[in-house]
Amino acid sequence: MAAVGLQTHIWANNTRSVLLLAGFPVLMIFIIYGLQLVLMGFGFLPGTGRGLGDDMALAASWLGGTVPLAFVVAGIWFAISYFGSQTMIDLMTGARKVERKSEPDLYNLLENLAISRGLRTPTLRVIDNDSLNAFATGLHEGQYSVTVTRGLVNTLTREELEAVLAHELTHVINKDVRTMVIASIFAGIISVIAELVFRGLLYSRGGGRRDNKNAMPLILIGLAFAAVGFALAIVIRMLLSRTREYVADAGAVELTKNPDAMISALRKVEGRSSLKGPDELQQLFLDNQPNGVGLEGLFATHPSIQKRVDALVRFGGGRDPGPWSGGAFAPTPLDYETSTPVAG
Amino acid sequence: MLTTLIVIAVIVAVVLFVIVGAYNRLVALDQRADQSFADIDVQLKQRQDLIPNLVETVKGYASHERATLDAVTQARAAAAGATSVNDKVQAENMLTASLGRLFAVAEAYPDLKANTNYLELQRELSDIENKLAAARRFFNNAVSEFNAVRRQFPTVLFAGMVGFGSDKPFFDVGEGERATMTAAPPKVSFSA
Repeated sequence: MAAVGLQTHIWANNTRSVLLLAGFPVLMIFIIYGLQLVLMGFGFLPGTGRGLGDDMALAASWLGGTVPLAFVVAGIWFAISYFGSQTMIDLMTGARKVERKSEPDLYNLLENLAISRGLRTPTLRVIDNDSLNAFATGLHEGQYSVTVTRGLVNTLTREELEAVLAHELTHVINKDVRTMVIASIFAGIISVIAELVFRGLLYSRGGGRRDNKNAMPLILIGLAFAAVGFALAIVIRMLLSRTREYVADAGAVELTKNPDAMISALRKVEGRSSLKGPDELQQLFLDNQPNGVGLEGLFATHPSIQKRVDALVRFGGGRDPGPWSGGAFAPTPLDYETSTPVAG
Repeated sequence: MLTTLIVIAVIVAVVLFVIVGAYNRLVALDQRADQSFADIDVQLKQRQDLIPNLVETVKGYASHERATLDAVTQARAAAAGATSVNDKVQAENMLTASLGRLFAVAEAYPDLKANTNYLELQRELSDIENKLAAARRFFNNAVSEFNAVRRQFPTVLFAGMVGFGSDKPFFDVGEGERATMTAAPPKVSFSA
């Protein structure tokens, strides 16, 4: 159903995410089938010796065995990343854990948001870096962590910072980190299989032990399966990531009741968010825009700031002050400047 | 025969599924609107708590502005006694208007304007006003979403049967206040 407000916008995107996630197992079957066809074409796997249709049917009948095997591999892969992810992310970004004492304002903002949703406060980390970005990490309770850059803390107002923390907290509440790790594992396995197919093509011109009279069509069809599966896996992963960003933006408004702060925070981050990190981490960033041009809309982990702002205006009833050029945004009647110290 | 039965069963299942889904969405949106009204209520209560103090402070400097002070006290009593959403909206708008008059009157008393207690109260009240505006906007958004979903097809066909027969009322700001807020939230004027 079409979104008519914040909650329906969240529902629509959540439904979309489930459908997209369900696409991965389908793609996996797809690409394994492609691999089998190519292997059969090269003679590494036995054919029926009859027509092309029979060979393809035979390859399909193997899926009952190969697909469960692939899912076991995916499970093991997931288990390894499950335990390694936090350490890996810490090592790669140089994020420093901060306590209430050293950053009382920031910590209180996060803690208040967490309390309002009955959550244990995630670990708060700061990267001493001038870029404006933030991310949530952690796959399970006790491991959840919200990281912000020093530049973000210095540039944003209190309300904007709260909106950003609420955005990250929504990622935690929705377990988006886990979703995206699962997506990247599927995408990883699919791209490994696709690579096997393409490499196989380069190195095994000689063929295997058996000859298959349908070699050429089998290889071509298999290749097509592999290519389409590979491309779709990346597109679905990125689509999923973008969907989760919309939900997190909307969730931040739910938490703070202030769409304007989320919008102005996004406007400030726009074009100033560059932060290095591995792919698995970049998809978790508050904002992450590809450097290249062209198909970036399709292969971007995040929607453009403009699209996110548009969604907040349309569904959250916010107001867009337009791109930020430094300084303060013109105060709006609702933009209450709190000069009071934050109550503990 | 069997196929006809299966087809009918499938159709019934799909229809039930759609109805149950739509009903659950309505319940969730209804609940959400009620919850966001509670957020408004918290701010309203805080505002009501500050008013006796404010009236006392102003009395100390401008005791002969009896009419204005009484209007505020009465509006507060009415607001505290209101129970339904409509009554609350009306009473709170009255209170906002009378507070506006009180602050306008206070402009004529330099001693009052310099009183730290008065300044503190004024600052707290304006802070509450701002939070109230944000909570009200969120509430109106939630209400408009509920109303829109309620009127969507196929929900509109059975919404009345399950107790969602009418639209929820918005928290409309009073006419006087609307003029000062025209630059502000576009959604507020949405009283369709």
